Amino acid sequence: MFQYILKRLLFFVPTLFIISIFSFGLSKLAPGDPVELRLKGGMQGASSGQLAEKQAGERAYIELSEKMGLNLPAFYFSLTSQAYPDTLYKIHRKYERETLSRLVDLYGNWPLISAYYHNLKSLENNLFKAPKDSLTYERSRAIKDLTNELYRTYEDYKIQRSLKIMDSLVALPATIIKDSVPVSEMTLAGQAPSVKAVVQSYQQMKREASPGKKYVPALHWYGTHNQYHRWLFGDVPWFGKNDDPTKSAKGFFRLDFGESYLDGRPVASLIGEAIKWTMVLNLISVLLSYSVSIPIGVNSAIRKGTLYDRITSTALFVFYSLPSFWIATLLVVFVTTSEYGMDFFPTYGIESQELQDAALLTRIGDWAYHLVLPVFCLTYASFAFISRQMRGAMVSVINQDYIRTANAKGLAKAKIVWKHAFRNSLIPIITMFASLFPLMISGSVIIEVIFQIPGMGKLSYTSLIARDYPVLFTILMFSAILTMMGMLVADLLYALVDPRISYTKKK
Amino acid sequence: MAKEKIKRPVDKSYWGIVKSQFRKNRLAVWCLRFLVVIAIIGLLANFLANDKPLYCKLKGETHFPVFKEMAVGLGLAKWDKQFAFADWKTFDYESVVWPLVPYSQTEMDIYNTQFVSPFAEQEVKSVQFKHWMGTDDIGRDVLAGMIHGTRIAMLVGVVSMSISSFLGILLGSLAGYYGDERLKASRISLFLYIPFLFIGLFYSFGVSGYTLSDALGVSIAAFLLQLLKCIFIFFLIMLVPYLLSKPLKRIPSLGRKVAIPVDILISRLIEVIISIPSLLLILSIVALAKPSIFLVMAIIGATSWTGIARFIRGELLRVRNLEYIEAAHALGYSEARTLFKHAIPNALTPVLISIAFGIAGAILVESSLSYLGIGVPAEVITWGKLLSLSRQAPEAWWLAVFPGFAIFLTVTIFNLIGEGLTDALDPRLKK
Repeated sequence: MFQYILKRLLFFVPTLFIISIFSFGLSKLAPGDPVELRLKGGMQGASSGQLAEKQAGERAYIELSEKMGLNLPAFYFSLTSQAYPDTLYKIHRKYERETLSRLVDLYGNWPLISAYYHNLKSLENNLFKAPKDSLTYERSRAIKDLTNELYRTYEDYKIQRSLKIMDSLVALPATIIKDSVPVSEMTLAGQAPSVKAVVQSYQQMKREASPGKKYVPALHWYGTHNQYHRWLFGDVPWFGKNDDPTKSAKGFFRLDFGESYLDGRPVASLIGEAIKWTMVLNLISVLLSYSVSIPIGVNSAIRKGTLYDRITSTALFVFYSLPSFWIATLLVVFVTTSEYGMDFFPTYGIESQELQDAALLTRIGDWAYHLVLPVFCLTYASFAFISRQMRGAMVSVINQDYIRTANAKGLAKAKIVWKHAFRNSLIPIITMFASLFPLMISGSVIIEVIFQIPGMGKLSYTSLIARDYPVLFTILMFSAILTMMGMLVADLLYALVDPRISYTKKK
Repeated sequence: MAKEKIKRPVDKSYWGIVKSQFRKNRLAVWCLRFLVVIAIIGLLANFLANDKPLYCKLKGETHFPVFKEMAVGLGLAKWDKQFAFADWKTFDYESVVWPLVPYSQTEMDIYNTQFVSPFAEQEVKSVQFKHWMGTDDIGRDVLAGMIHGTRIAMLVGVVSMSISSFLGILLGSLAGYYGDERLKASRISLFLYIPFLFIGLFYSFGVSGYTLSDALGVSIAAFLLQLLKCIFIFFLIMLVPYLLSKPLKRIPSLGRKVAIPVDILISRLIEVIISIPSLLLILSIVALAKPSIFLVMAIIGATSWTGIARFIRGELLRVRNLEYIEAAHALGYSEARTLFKHAIPNALTPVLISIAFGIAGAILVESSLSYLGIGVPAEVITWGKLLSLSRQAPEAWWLAVFPGFAIFLTVTIFNLIGEGLTDALDPRLKK
């Protein structure tokens, strides 16, 4: 038995590994820059054109990106082509990284692409450094916008167009008053060399393209100092003191789930808040549905073929087929609004605004009042399912010889049913019991969204919409772990209720 | 004198028995008939609800606008200039035949916006143009949406279940039939295949990664074309180790067979997929890509095959030890022939049950997704989407009742057919 459990636990490892790779890969594929997402709360992205402000913004970005570990290589190794540099991850901005990677894909000559990128950077810096005056302001602003655009474009015709505009803007003379005589002068001449450098490096990049490099595979090894490793195992040493202030993550396995991209709160506290509502909701609904459905299932199996059986079977089937989000919508529409004169329940939420400071007992009553409809919607579906399973299992057991024997020797009916038949028909119930573990974590997304219950389902939905991946992954990983635990517990319970099932090796 | 029926000894095939058992279940048979009706509604949605007339005579010319629309959709024809952006309801026809519902699912009736009830007075030309199931906030006809939603629901059920049964039957039978010890490969081919797998992946998918993702941004069809191209290149590269290993296998030390643990690999894969809550998995994939109903179908299919696979695996674990498989081996049939012609067909009929329940499940998942507003593009109207509209406007009871009822009905039909099949295939009833 012990060996069996150990073996099963060992099997968790590859499964968890695949799931973690999968969810990590999803986050890398997702559009949007998590650092920008985090920064958006603090300050506005648009700068007023001051060099100091831009530098401050850049510093804040880099600091945050380092704190979130996004400046590390993504994985232990990368299998790319010879054309890609192995240090692309060191470029901080995600969109710049993506554009450069596109350019590499197109032209394949990294040194020249990098030169183009650096020329673009120095042009931008020069523009910021140049003294501001009313004559050049408009045009230097336009060139700045164009450089910003160039950081995001890789298509040849778009770059060509932007460069051409840039060129003409620099060459455009302005009319200034010199000694009360209007003179036309190249006021932006100072920027001309840097613009020229950008244009030239772009053309050189195109001319000396080496797309063939793309077809030579290259394997880069980064070691354990990477984003994936940091997310799972952290970068703080497991034993001993941490003397490197840049390392702060403890990693998933040390219960440090990172921080939400949205508001920077620790994921653990977000989940802690949400999970209590999901737990309450599901616990009530599970207790209710099991305590009602088991007697009903057993009873209708005993009276198979009678009117009682037919009525309950039909009703259960209808319940089973009713989509719970439809019932929830109907309930919200008909019994929570005054539209049809049946405003019996609150529409959504878990507590009333005005009762938030009331006594505990009143508040519990208020919560219960709010939970009636969601609990009903969660319960009826699982109740119908469990009853039908129970009935099916019971029917097949009751037809067996040993039940007839028990009947023949005159055992009490209740004893036959509950002691002999019931125990052997527990298998499907156990299977479903196993699926309850992950339900506690992931909750029911749709019911929680409809009734606006701040539980795990709602949390995962909102974090998904907002691309708040640390939250989403933690939920995914936890529900995966709990599903596997549930399956293991179910397998062990099978052996407990049915001695014929055994996991120890037969000698 | 009535002719007495001669009782012939019945020698029915397995299918014959299943069919006659299924026919005994009257409810299930009725469901099957009703399903045909729903499928026809889905197929003919364009002819049942459309903003263009089926037939009309305009200035002496005869037009068949709905057919024309289909031809245009397929790229076979082009609209005349005067009709390209025309509102067909404004023409003065000499004679005209409108579809049953003279509205398309996305057409906005500007006279009947802001949730007009089916029983309220509607501003329409005649009874023919009445909105029998009311309208939504921007004046779209709910009945037209329901009819076109039927098509989507049917499509989702069929496409996603085709994908999932293909994957499930293939992987499940491989796992069950070969187990951990029966599939053997020579050392040299393993040695060659594994590095070439990486090389193949690099040249097919790694190199054209951007081409693929750009194609996905354009359309699913373009993406599939690119994907096929990549897969073709992949297999072309995989030919190399195949051809290389052929002569090298002759060398005894290289040609020694090693068992591949297919069962363990596939079982782990199944475990991974069932460990992730399916709705969350689908949600997180769908949220990444451009909304597309076909992507939703593909993902539902790709995540729901585990049940079928587990079932087939169990069946084939049993079947592979039967005598007739041994006989097939003794006759010298190839492994592929034994597996696909003899072993799998024997385990296939019960899969119908899983498929029937699976379609119901797929329709439910799709409607919940579109209810949540994820994955389905804005111009596609589905039952789930119509239902979700009712949350904004509790006074619009018709939006809460009709689409939900359609989902319920379809799901029930498939569940009942699944029940009927379960009973018909039950060996205890076969006596």
